[in-house]
Amino acid sequence: MATAAQQAGVGVQLLTGSEVMANVVRLADVDVITAYPIRPYDTVMQYVSRFISNGEFDADYIPAESEHGQFEIVKHACACGARVFTGSSGVGWLYAMEPLAVTAGLRLPMVALVGCRALDDPGAFGTEHNDAMLVRDLGWLITFPDAAQEVVELGLLAYRVAEDPKVFLPCAIAMDGAFLTHSQATVRLPSQEQVKKFLPPYNRGDMLLHPDNPITIAPQANEDWLMEVRRQSSEAAKRAYTVLKDAHKDFCRIFGESTNPFLDEYMTEDADVVLCGLGTLSLPVKVAIREMRKEGKKVGLVRLKWFRPFPTEELRASLSRFKAVGVVDRDYSFGSPFHGGILLNEVKAALYGLDKQPRVKGFVCGLGGREVLLENVKHMADEILAIAKSGKADTQVEWIGVRG
Amino acid sequence: MSGETLYQIGTQQLPLMGKVNAIPQKAVEEYYTSGHRTCQGCESALIMRLMAKAAGPRTIILGSTGCMYVANTTYYSTPWVVPWMHTQLGSCGSAATGTAAALRALMRKGKMKQEPINVISFCGDGGGVDMGVAGISAALMHAEYNHLIICYDNESYANTDIQISGASPWGANTTFTPPGKKFRIMHTRWKKNIAALYAVGHTRCNYVATGDASFPADLIDKVRKGLATPGPAFIHTLDPCPKGWDYDPFYSHKLGELAVETGLFPLWEMTNGELTYTGISARLVYGNRKRRPVREYLEAQGRFHHFTEEDYAYFQGEVDKMWDNWSMPGVIPFKLGEDPAKKKK
Amino acid sequence: MSVISFEIVYRGIYQKTLANKISRTLVLAAVKEGKQGISFGRYSDSPERNGIPAKLFGYIADNSEELQAVAAKYEPKQVDVSICVDDTMCKGVESWAWYGLQPITAVTKPGGTLIVTSNYKTDDLVKHIHRRGTPYKLAIVPGGASMAGLWVYKNDGTDARVLGAALKAEPSICSMASLEQAIRENIGGDAHIEAARASFEDTRSDEVKPGQGNTEVPFTFQLLKWTEMREGVVIDGVGGHNNYRDLEGGYEPGRNEVFKKWSTRTMRPVVAFDKCTKCTLCWIACPDTVFDVTPDGYFDANMEACCGCGVCEAICPVSDCITMVNEVVFEDRGSQYLMWKKDAQAYQGYLTDKRKKGKVEKRFPITGLAAAFSGAGLDGGHNLNSAKAKSVKDFK
Repeated sequence: MATAAQQAGVGVQLLTGSEVMANVVRLADVDVITAYPIRPYDTVMQYVSRFISNGEFDADYIPAESEHGQFEIVKHACACGARVFTGSSGVGWLYAMEPLAVTAGLRLPMVALVGCRALDDPGAFGTEHNDAMLVRDLGWLITFPDAAQEVVELGLLAYRVAEDPKVFLPCAIAMDGAFLTHSQATVRLPSQEQVKKFLPPYNRGDMLLHPDNPITIAPQANEDWLMEVRRQSSEAAKRAYTVLKDAHKDFCRIFGESTNPFLDEYMTEDADVVLCGLGTLSLPVKVAIREMRKEGKKVGLVRLKWFRPFPTEELRASLSRFKAVGVVDRDYSFGSPFHGGILLNEVKAALYGLDKQPRVKGFVCGLGGREVLLENVKHMADEILAIAKSGKADTQVEWIGVRG
Repeated sequence: MSGETLYQIGTQQLPLMGKVNAIPQKAVEEYYTSGHRTCQGCESALIMRLMAKAAGPRTIILGSTGCMYVANTTYYSTPWVVPWMHTQLGSCGSAATGTAAALRALMRKGKMKQEPINVISFCGDGGGVDMGVAGISAALMHAEYNHLIICYDNESYANTDIQISGASPWGANTTFTPPGKKFRIMHTRWKKNIAALYAVGHTRCNYVATGDASFPADLIDKVRKGLATPGPAFIHTLDPCPKGWDYDPFYSHKLGELAVETGLFPLWEMTNGELTYTGISARLVYGNRKRRPVREYLEAQGRFHHFTEEDYAYFQGEVDKMWDNWSMPGVIPFKLGEDPAKKKK
Repeated sequence: MSVISFEIVYRGIYQKTLANKISRTLVLAAVKEGKQGISFGRYSDSPERNGIPAKLFGYIADNSEELQAVAAKYEPKQVDVSICVDDTMCKGVESWAWYGLQPITAVTKPGGTLIVTSNYKTDDLVKHIHRRGTPYKLAIVPGGASMAGLWVYKNDGTDARVLGAALKAEPSICSMASLEQAIRENIGGDAHIEAARASFEDTRSDEVKPGQGNTEVPFTFQLLKWTEMREGVVIDGVGGHNNYRDLEGGYEPGRNEVFKKWSTRTMRPVVAFDKCTKCTLCWIACPDTVFDVTPDGYFDANMEACCGCGVCEAICPVSDCITMVNEVVFEDRGSQYLMWKKDAQAYQGYLTDKRKKGKVEKRFPITGLAAAFSGAGLDGGHNLNSAKAKSVKDFK
């Protein structure tokens, strides 16, 4: 059955995740864009720059002198009422850590692509989520698309939610390097009309930096003030949840999609156990699940589309239905509780206090872009099934697909 | 370049002062006013005042971290009449580019009323001579963006309590370079020649100048010329700092004059590829006015109090070189060498 | 339990070393007798600014438990002794850490002592000190505000004399012998010790009764709730411009309403309008935008903005046109220009009187610091501290 998107859309194209993001930027009529090369995010700028040079949309496009400059430039453009786009990867993202922090502090709705990449040293191009995760405490919204098509939804929502005056927080679109940034898939792009309907113009209101609005932005604040400023940011981050929920309703209405705003659940209706993870992991997991179902193993997948705002209530409601949950991290948090990953610790924290708590086991896999194979997934699923059967807790965090 | 990249919003052409007593008639309004918490006799605050006065009401000002951020604007308390925004210590240039880019894009796309709006981004010597050099260098290469970058140089990280910067003069006592029993001179580097660095290295930047608050008409006119010049511009000011230089605030203005009269800090401007000296410096270069001994300037400041005769002599010698050996006094530290072919013969 | 707490109110940067020496030496003297103590600057006063008021605090206790009991409060709410090393701050304290004007005795205990270095008499100071409901003692250490300096500590003996007076106010801190030893170790030799002794003997304190003093209600500022603050760390800029006062024409810039200069200056300019040539130099050279432009083109120093740097006097080409006068001799912040317009002759009298009482005579000389050590005066409302003790030479 053809969805509204198929009828209204411009038909099927073969695009990489980066290419789809570039199209979202074009459709969103972004005003100022800055680029600086680092793999794998930079592919998006190669597409954006081509759009610019061909006059397919109009923006000030600035190749900057460093990631710090790159993010500072769009930060200030954003304060002057320009819709902006930029991005980076790995240590480049970290080189911009100062602007990343102040952008959230200033409540500027910058939208940035982080092409997830392992942090140096050693220099490695493959995907790891640690770079994106490093802004998780600063007020940044963070979304993890799992495929090129989903970049349309999450990319447009990023602008819509970030620029909502009730929120005014920056948003990071975290794409798995290579698996999403560089792999082509069939995608249906929405029409300009649809996007216009969904995405209102960015209006900075009385926070606009302009001679008609003589304000002072970010005066130095001592202990008399800072806690109040932080409290405001905390409230904005809370409001992002509701704003996102409503925006997603609009998205489904206009684009004829019908998805869940926060969670992508696969074969969970009758599942005994589920694996829980982020991003492109969903592909091998879904395939493995289908094969295991043939063996009568009732495994499902619960994937978080948004890491910030963290869908605490949805996750509690969802995961409490299962006997055991395997949390799959494509990141590390050395020395953390049970030496697990970041997602594991956040999921456990979210489940705390439930009357009916599932057993939770953590896995670390796919670091540095290492492929997560079907047998890896099946192994993890079997582990979780075993825990479900025995009912015994297993706090050991297991590294998957590592030699030794 | 395509028409699009050439698209440029105009610049404001504001009248020049010429002489100091013309200022009340031509620019009486203040856009940086009282209420800041800077030191008694703070010349950097005076730079801010003259800069804002020169730029006028249709202006956006960006300020890097430093005294002119922390001492000027404490939360709920600001001296700024025009819109002002903080930027990070190393992003003075990026702030200018980003702001100018937003105005250009929004006006071109019809999302903002078209008008020439002044964009000024300022930094201290920490932001303009050390940390922010890469960003400023990049900003000065964007011919399509109109903005002015001002480095107010009080020769140390004065805000954080007077630590050495790339602009601190040789031998100065700072909290990171205190004279001691073993090393009387802890700071052994010469001050960076920063305005010339930006002028020589950025051939699309058509206005670079040095200024000093002790010569207000000269400074206001330079700010207005910088803003009137299409594309990026840069001004470096030397600001006596009673806190970091350790002198009675009463002498702030006097020290500003001495810095120029001793030849230590020549006043000049480079406009579209032509460099001219201004004010007293012009008389030192073109006329027959003599430089005053640099010792008069050094002795007035506690930060040089540990100097011995040989230190004064060395310092004077280095200043003399700036004037006697450089192809442009205090600007270009080298000359054209002779033809190697001739050398062989 | 017996705990002595004290505060030192000083001018940022150029009295920083002085305040530190006083505070440290007092604590170290007590430590010599087995007591416990701490001395700390108020963090939110830093980074300090030249002349902007700042504070140091100190506790001296019999044992560490007692010390911790008081030190648990970072900033004491009450102190036994308040030391003010610049008498102009008797008008109140506007520090970094503060919004509004804090009376100089704000944290002085009922019956506690306020020690002020001053060349003026008790009554001259009490009329500036905001009145309060409880009594306190006022002790004056003769001598002006020492501009002791940061890098080069121009020691004029103020430190030793203040210490002598502090011990007089709170004899339980330690014995004179311990103080002398601490002075010798941390400040200087016989001249200092002699000065401390002399100060200990001679310092008298007068009781200031409840309700006595300045009736002005000090400027206060209410901090906002997070729900009342604008989002995005945004605050309003300073509003527009006006004519001069209520007159036609002239120019008065908009001014920050939250932070005004009530007591940030040690001295203020007085202008002899009869001599003014309207050269504009004072107006344009002022870092604090102090001078309002009058309709007839004079420049009137606005005392809500001046921090007393003295650049206007330095730059004025006419002799005796602008004079810096010690802030203590003023009880008003009114317009000098309007006073002059109203009655030029009366204004001349006012001018002469103020200059006589508080003209700042000597200055830190521009050529060389040598003079700073010669007794030739570190000045700026900072008359040489000659009281009792010797010429500055002796304190080297």
